[in-house]
Amino acid sequence: MSAAVAQPVTAPLALEAEGLMHRYGRRQGLDPLSFRLAAPSAVVLTGPNGSGKSTLLRILAGLLRPTAGSATLRIGAEDLPPSARRLRVGFASPELAFYDELSVTENLVFAAEARGLADPRVAVATALERVGLAARARDLVPELSSGMKQRLRLAFALLGGPAVVLLDEPGSHLDDEGRASVARLVDEQARAGLVILATNDEREMKLGAQSIELRRRGLGDPA
Amino acid sequence: MERKASSSAAAVWAILRKECRSEWRTRYGLNAALLFAVTSLAAVSFAVGPLGDRTDILSALLWVVLFFAALSSLSHAFVREIEGHTLTLLRLVASPTAIALGKLFFNLIFLVVIEAVTVPLFLLLMGGPPPGWSRFLAMLSLGSVALAASCTLVSAIIAQTRGRGALFAGVSFPLLLPVLAAAVKGTRAQWLGGTVGAEASILLAYALAVFGVSLLLYDHLWED
Repeated sequence: MSAAVAQPVTAPLALEAEGLMHRYGRRQGLDPLSFRLAAPSAVVLTGPNGSGKSTLLRILAGLLRPTAGSATLRIGAEDLPPSARRLRVGFASPELAFYDELSVTENLVFAAEARGLADPRVAVATALERVGLAARARDLVPELSSGMKQRLRLAFALLGGPAVVLLDEPGSHLDDEGRASVARLVDEQARAGLVILATNDEREMKLGAQSIELRRRGLGDPA
Repeated sequence: MERKASSSAAAVWAILRKECRSEWRTRYGLNAALLFAVTSLAAVSFAVGPLGDRTDILSALLWVVLFFAALSSLSHAFVREIEGHTLTLLRLVASPTAIALGKLFFNLIFLVVIEAVTVPLFLLLMGGPPPGWSRFLAMLSLGSVALAASCTLVSAIIAQTRGRGALFAGVSFPLLLPVLAAAVKGTRAQWLGGTVGAEASILLAYALAVFGVSLLLYDHLWED
């Protein structure tokens, strides 16, 4: 298997949260939460708008520091600090934007080179093939439709075959074929490592073997 | 996931190349900087002509033109990422330190390009005594390094704040004043045939201090 495709995790992989909580100023972004997930698996994260799904994924990706509690990604005997997680975690969310002045391939090659992947162009070609975007590889980002941009986000998340993939609303803007691709990708990733999907779409909820439901009333209630 | 030995160096190099490619395609800062430099030099030249042996005005004018020509780009090194919503992408592929170093090296290259056009034009239009080239280039190099390091740090600090335009001016003024003062003084000294050792030492020490502080700060700058 190429280095760019999801590789089965050889060492035990576990993602643990202990009393994880986040506040945006006075507003509660994520209520205290604890869980333990082990690979291989697909986990669906559900909850009403504002319940903290995106906040949780950002914390797990190392983009956001929790106000309290901790999240630990353990591969084998090694605990990866948040700063090192970017090398092992793939992340796609609606907020993820790319450089308009660069093409699809140039954006992803930049990401692959910055992550230090051994063969960036092979990794990019494989990721684009997996999400069905190879035909638009030379297009500039503004030339893509909303659905194509979503495929680009998915390709970015899969780049280099990360051990953990975090997908926030992965099916947004996608047509039926795109949603089928998401289902296939989740299935492949769930065999190789860990995938967490934040969604309220019933079709995507079926993709997970486990689920975490955030039960807050939502809309970021003041605590 | 197979990786190269030094992913930090790879990240800095990738970010530097991305910055150069983006700037080349958009000319976001280059055109504005060169327009400012050429216009201001032409305007001063038409108004007062060659300044001859007024080395005090010559050295101040040179650094004022270089500073303001480069400022529009240097101050926006991180703001562009915020406004283009690409900071999340950057943070997912590289450490804050690697991002900042990539931006710093790009800012240095940007300054060199601006100087390659501005300095010959300045010497042609403004006259003045022939520069002592080694001391003149030493002042230009060290001043540019200190300027780029300071502006990159301030740009990173203010990037995610509201009212960042006003903040940049407020935060950068005390940081950049010693750089400009030493650079102007050293540039004048070389025109007068004096030594520039003291000014060169100040600029080098200042650049190293800012660089050191930057390395300590960058990893904590964007933690929400």
